[in-house]
Amino acid sequence: MFGTVRAVDGVDLAVGDGEFFTLLGPSGCGKTTLLRMIAGFCELDAGEIKFGDRRIDRLPAHTRDIGMVFQNYAVFPNLTVAGNVAYGLKARRVSGAELARRVEEALGLVQLAGYGERWPHQLSGGQLQRVAIARALVIRPQVLLFDEPLSNLDARLRVSMRSEIRDLQKSLGITAIYVTHDQEEAMSVSDRIALMQSGRLEQVGPPAEIYRNPTSRFAAEFMGTTNLVEARALGGDRAGLVSLRPEALRLAADAPADWPQVGGKVAHVEVLGPITRFDVRLADGSLLKVATLDAPHLTPAPGAEVTLAYDPARITVLP
Amino acid sequence: MRLAIPHQQRLPLAIAALGFLFLGLFLLYPLFNVFSASVLDGEGEKFTFANYVKILGRPFYRGAVVNTLAIGLAATITTILVAVPLAFALARLPVPGKAAIIALAAMPLVLPSFVSAYAIVLLLGRAGVVTQWLQSWGIGFGSIYGAGGIVLVYTLTLYPYVLLPTMAAFKAVDVSVEEAAQSLGSSPRRTLWTVTLPIVIPAILAGGLLVFIETLENFGVPFVLAEDMPIFAVEAFKLFVGETAPNPSSAGVLGVLLIAMTSLVLLIQRRFLASRRFATGARAAPPILRVGLGLRVAASVYCWLVVLLALVPFFAIVVLSFMEFRGPVLHPNFSLANFAALFERSMRPLLNTLLFATLAAIGVTLVGVPIAYVVTRLRSGLASLLDVVATLPFAVAGTVLAIGFVVSFNSGWLILTGGPLIMVLVYTVRKVPFAVRSSSAILHQIDPSLEEASISLGRSPLQTFGRILVPLMLGGILSGFVLTWVTIASELSATVVLYSGQWRTLTVVMFQALEGGGGGIATAAASTLIIVTLVPITLLYRLVRRYELAT
Repeated sequence: MFGTVRAVDGVDLAVGDGEFFTLLGPSGCGKTTLLRMIAGFCELDAGEIKFGDRRIDRLPAHTRDIGMVFQNYAVFPNLTVAGNVAYGLKARRVSGAELARRVEEALGLVQLAGYGERWPHQLSGGQLQRVAIARALVIRPQVLLFDEPLSNLDARLRVSMRSEIRDLQKSLGITAIYVTHDQEEAMSVSDRIALMQSGRLEQVGPPAEIYRNPTSRFAAEFMGTTNLVEARALGGDRAGLVSLRPEALRLAADAPADWPQVGGKVAHVEVLGPITRFDVRLADGSLLKVATLDAPHLTPAPGAEVTLAYDPARITVLP
Repeated sequence: MRLAIPHQQRLPLAIAALGFLFLGLFLLYPLFNVFSASVLDGEGEKFTFANYVKILGRPFYRGAVVNTLAIGLAATITTILVAVPLAFALARLPVPGKAAIIALAAMPLVLPSFVSAYAIVLLLGRAGVVTQWLQSWGIGFGSIYGAGGIVLVYTLTLYPYVLLPTMAAFKAVDVSVEEAAQSLGSSPRRTLWTVTLPIVIPAILAGGLLVFIETLENFGVPFVLAEDMPIFAVEAFKLFVGETAPNPSSAGVLGVLLIAMTSLVLLIQRRFLASRRFATGARAAPPILRVGLGLRVAASVYCWLVVLLALVPFFAIVVLSFMEFRGPVLHPNFSLANFAALFERSMRPLLNTLLFATLAAIGVTLVGVPIAYVVTRLRSGLASLLDVVATLPFAVAGTVLAIGFVVSFNSGWLILTGGPLIMVLVYTVRKVPFAVRSSSAILHQIDPSLEEASISLGRSPLQTFGRILVPLMLGGILSGFVLTWVTIASELSATVVLYSGQWRTLTVVMFQALEGGGGGIATAAASTLIIVTLVPITLLYRLVRRYELAT
């Protein structure tokens, strides 16, 4: 399958067959609208959406053959778990032994084998989202849409569920379009990410590429933490804004000798466990955020004068 | 821009079109005819304002305006005075038997108010049981007829309109707001007056306005108790029945004025109350206050007293219906003679009541639920307009709507007068606002993503409505159906205008017996009506209880 999307505001996207594609951006960036346009719940004023060669944007939503997983699960409270999973199959006139077999198979895929007779109000949030995923998978849709499916779950469950979703999607080979505002979640599950802002595409590419080579200030800041500094403050001779990730900075004592150095005063220290974060104020008054792996003998004290070194290969020049 | 209608809006738009068609034909068209009757001469040919000049020029009708408004205002104030302390006690004080009190307090909402008025006459009227008993002890009291009696009956029958929303508001007050006031040095008494009461005032006023509108539209209570005092809804009926010219211009004028008054009140409500919501979003109901024994006893006595006092008239009617009437005088010979007299003549009134209530309640559900779906799910001006039109019957007295129906459908391509369908249609239109309100309340609780999930799984919007929304709404639809059913069974104001020959209902029998002084048949009809009302309500209550226990 190959889909072309042109929506919201001059958005032109092609999602590959079997790809895990994520729409990422702050709230109000248009990512959910774009997803709902694909699902058929929002109208396009212009442009088109295709599944392969088939244009779908004028089809009613219920004929588009899409599986959708909602933020608030949207599990039908008046049906059992099995009834929920069977719902789309019955709409497709699947019945009898095949219906039962496919429902049980789908519940097995989401670790809910044997839960068929339970009612939704007897399940936890994580289980409800599994039911919603099974319900969307079982109809073998052409494309699976996820609308912030993990945002109602607690932090620990979110992390385990996201890798489960990714594994499931890869093993079934269904094309997935996933919406989230959480960049870490997006990076962990996606083959490619489309970073959006104000209804426009900021940058499209594999997660590592967007993280390492952001093409805009917004992309650099939204994908994780970064230092946006004037190139001159780092001692270079170029003018303009550069992005330097906190983990590309180290104390000079701990860095290769050929890395450029810059001096400053430690303003604030946070020991977070595996990593230590600290801010260093440079001579020109700008603040550099530094993140290092926990190393007791190298933890600076607030107020100390330190010399930092940075990896010159990891400086990104922004337009 | 594409001109085609978006797929996801086709179903709501189709329903909206049908809704407008139905309400246009059976609400706006009759109302338009009432209006045109009021501005045409007696032959229905020439445009004139003379009818308004004639009616408003007569002190009798000006008096009717003043009486109606004054009684409405007085009844609104007394209901608020009775209901607000009751609401506070039930929400915040330790009162024994709360569940029972609340269940009993809701009863007057479904019991016919004119039955209560009639019971008051039988008890406290000139030849009343209590009056004569007191007279035998040499004690006399003022007349129950006129404004005093009407306000009394309104207070006893309409206080739940204020009680229920106010109690809910008291329970929704976030206790931390009160705690904040007390931590700032405010005494519990001052906190009640300066923090708690102001928060619930919008709920009190909203309930009070419902009471006011009910009093403006009520026909039965003033018909029984007003005697010579002119009251709007009654005079509109009398003028319409008595009018001999082809065009009922005078009744039309009263109808238009009555609609104008109720609409004005509704507009005031929308304008001033809609923006004043002090919901504090409490997660749990505030705790029951710890008070001294004296206050506890006083509160308990007050609660039980109000609730039972309101039901005494109905209880009395049932008892009196087994007694022998000789003229207006009662004799304590208990028998089923009154019921025999009622049903010997014909079972038809009872059967008609059951039939009409059932048909109209089905009609209300079929019209109201889909309109509520449009109103809650379609984001457009069209949906707001449909909401306004569907709320309009609330501002129209039954008498006036019925007059509009008679004027509109007694000739031409659609003749309904003289048959049963006209009554069913008027009942349906009258109760549509209630069905739309209650159904929208349920629909607001149902997340739209459930419908989207169903659609994305391959069910069309129409199938989704039937397979997801209707099952989810079923409990609410069923209780709405029962409530509509019982209120239609005791409908009087439109019925007296519309009934004909064999299509008399129990309320008509009672109405005619009142006019003719047949106390035995009137009480038997009233008792039957009370039973017809209470049986489904009790069944519903038990069903709801069982459902709540099961989940």
